[in-house]
Amino acid sequence: MAMLSFEKKYRTRGGTLIGGDLFDFWIGPFYVGFFGVATIFFALLGTALCVYGAAIGEGLAAQTWNLWQISIAPPPLEYGLGFAPMTEGGLWQAITVCAIGAFVCWALRQAEISRKLGMGYHVPVAYAVAILAYVSLVVVRPVLMGAWGHGFPYGIISHLDWVSNVGYQYLHFHYNPAHMIAVSFFFTTTFALGLHGSLILSVTNPRKGESVRSSEHENTYFRDTIGYSIGAIGIHRLGLFLALNAGIWSAICIVISGPFWTRGWPEWWAWWLNLPIWS
Amino acid sequence: MKNRGLSLVLMGGLLAATGCELPPVDTVATGFRGTGMEHVSNPGTVADSMRAIAARIQPASGTAPAAMEPAPPGTWENVQVLGHLSEAEFNRFMLNMTIWVAQGTGQGCNYCHVVDSEGVVDFVSDNIYTKVVSRDMISMTQDLNANWETHVGEAGVNCWTCHQGQALPTNYWFFADERRGALIQNFVNAPRQPERYLLDEEGVRVQSGAALTADVDNPVSTNDTRHAYWVMLQMTEALGVNCTYCHMSPRWGDWEESPPTRTTALRGVRMTRELNQSYMLPLQNAWPAERLGPMGDGPKIQCATCHMGAYIPQYGHPASHGQDHPAITQIGFPHAGSPAPTMEMDPEAPPTGAAPGAATTGAGMR
Repeated sequence: MAMLSFEKKYRTRGGTLIGGDLFDFWIGPFYVGFFGVATIFFALLGTALCVYGAAIGEGLAAQTWNLWQISIAPPPLEYGLGFAPMTEGGLWQAITVCAIGAFVCWALRQAEISRKLGMGYHVPVAYAVAILAYVSLVVVRPVLMGAWGHGFPYGIISHLDWVSNVGYQYLHFHYNPAHMIAVSFFFTTTFALGLHGSLILSVTNPRKGESVRSSEHENTYFRDTIGYSIGAIGIHRLGLFLALNAGIWSAICIVISGPFWTRGWPEWWAWWLNLPIWS
Repeated sequence: MKNRGLSLVLMGGLLAATGCELPPVDTVATGFRGTGMEHVSNPGTVADSMRAIAARIQPASGTAPAAMEPAPPGTWENVQVLGHLSEAEFNRFMLNMTIWVAQGTGQGCNYCHVVDSEGVVDFVSDNIYTKVVSRDMISMTQDLNANWETHVGEAGVNCWTCHQGQALPTNYWFFADERRGALIQNFVNAPRQPERYLLDEEGVRVQSGAALTADVDNPVSTNDTRHAYWVMLQMTEALGVNCTYCHMSPRWGDWEESPPTRTTALRGVRMTRELNQSYMLPLQNAWPAERLGPMGDGPKIQCATCHMGAYIPQYGHPASHGQDHPAITQIGFPHAGSPAPTMEMDPEAPPTGAAPGAATTGAGMR
């Protein structure tokens, strides 16, 4: 397989966090490393456990191979933060360990690649925010509420049912202040990406006979249309900021629902009505 | 740096003002594991409201007799619904009612029994509306304890459950011609009066049974769904619970997936309808003007009348139970020689079907 010009730099020895030279090699274009092996291990084991769970109908009234209905459910609340029997949520616990193991190892593999490239840890840090959101749902919040059973089930429809029920647990989730912020960041992220992506597609696909536009064209376009151009590096910093905040505030909005507020979210806003200024 | 200090103080003050609760929390599963069907409460918040209940409690007087013979004929005059009691139990019940209902008035027996021109209490006379209403309320409590065990349970209820020592329960409703501030109105405008569901209206079945509703014959409007939402919220607020206390939220109407609490709630709705129809509406002519609502109708019962923000009234405190009071656990009959109770509706009274406008709830429906 032919190497791209920059792959020479990428394929330098060293920069590993664990394992020294042992796993410091490539399979085709893919760097392996200790964490690549560990990711494969956790991912395969977790998937196999999911398939096993589907085969025995874990977490369902009746066994099914319908992909939409398969569900691996967390333990009943009465097991608290202890281990549950395999067929009563223990499988969910094992799969959760595998999932977190695979996600974290993948982030650490990204860190090793960053070290090989001599660049900052922006990529693994950004990916870690996505992991944080998942861990908030299945570890942080269940621990704060005192039972693994507060985690969400692993199934396509079943996890949607869980989201619906947990939302209505707080009557009207759109009144959750952190949810408001998170949703705003999600929309702003896609808006910024839409602006940036359309600009890049435009400047890199000139009409026949014309050349690719330069960054001055890009800046001029946004200065003309919205009065300001954040610039080529700036848009990526802004995009990172918006995207990470979307994930971070999502994690916050679910962690505060339950542990720090048990009533309806609309009621939370009574603090505004109760401010000593007018009450 | 000065600014940072200031903003920290501001943020701290904001957090304190919001009154966020702190873990740990109490959780009870109300559905299969992994469905997210659960009741979550903060023990600190619940303890606060239970302390408030405990502060109101006046212990009932005496204990229920092991066995009881109805008082011999001629013991009383004009006792229409308590003829099944012995004299001792009758007196105990009268004493308890002054605690349960009349305590806040400071009038004791005289709240319901008139004093004649010679300064003697005339226990026979019905010439005071509170006595007429009390008799109706006793019949009502006998009815619901004897016939609605599916909702009130074996423990049943007594007068204190709703009255809390006051002549008027905290929560009741009238037909309304103006909007008043229930908390729910802060985020939903009520197109119709949700409490009508507890009197004579149906109409919260709004969810289609299938996806792609264009293919399904579902005639309800968006307004209907808003109404259903408000009806549900008056229950939610009254019981201090959330939607998933009774419903699997993706399929609201599906009984198979609903927790048993939904059955109890439905029986409660039917019970409240019957109580309003059979006991509250017939009192229309008994009320003095100051007890009537803006549309001229008398007060009516809603979920919050008994529940007052708790999923079991008074969180099941024994002081709210009826079971130790034979006066209200069985259907009474007239004492020998007394007339049977009658309650007639005035055909001139405001019709039950005329209630335009939005909700009015009794004071304190929070």
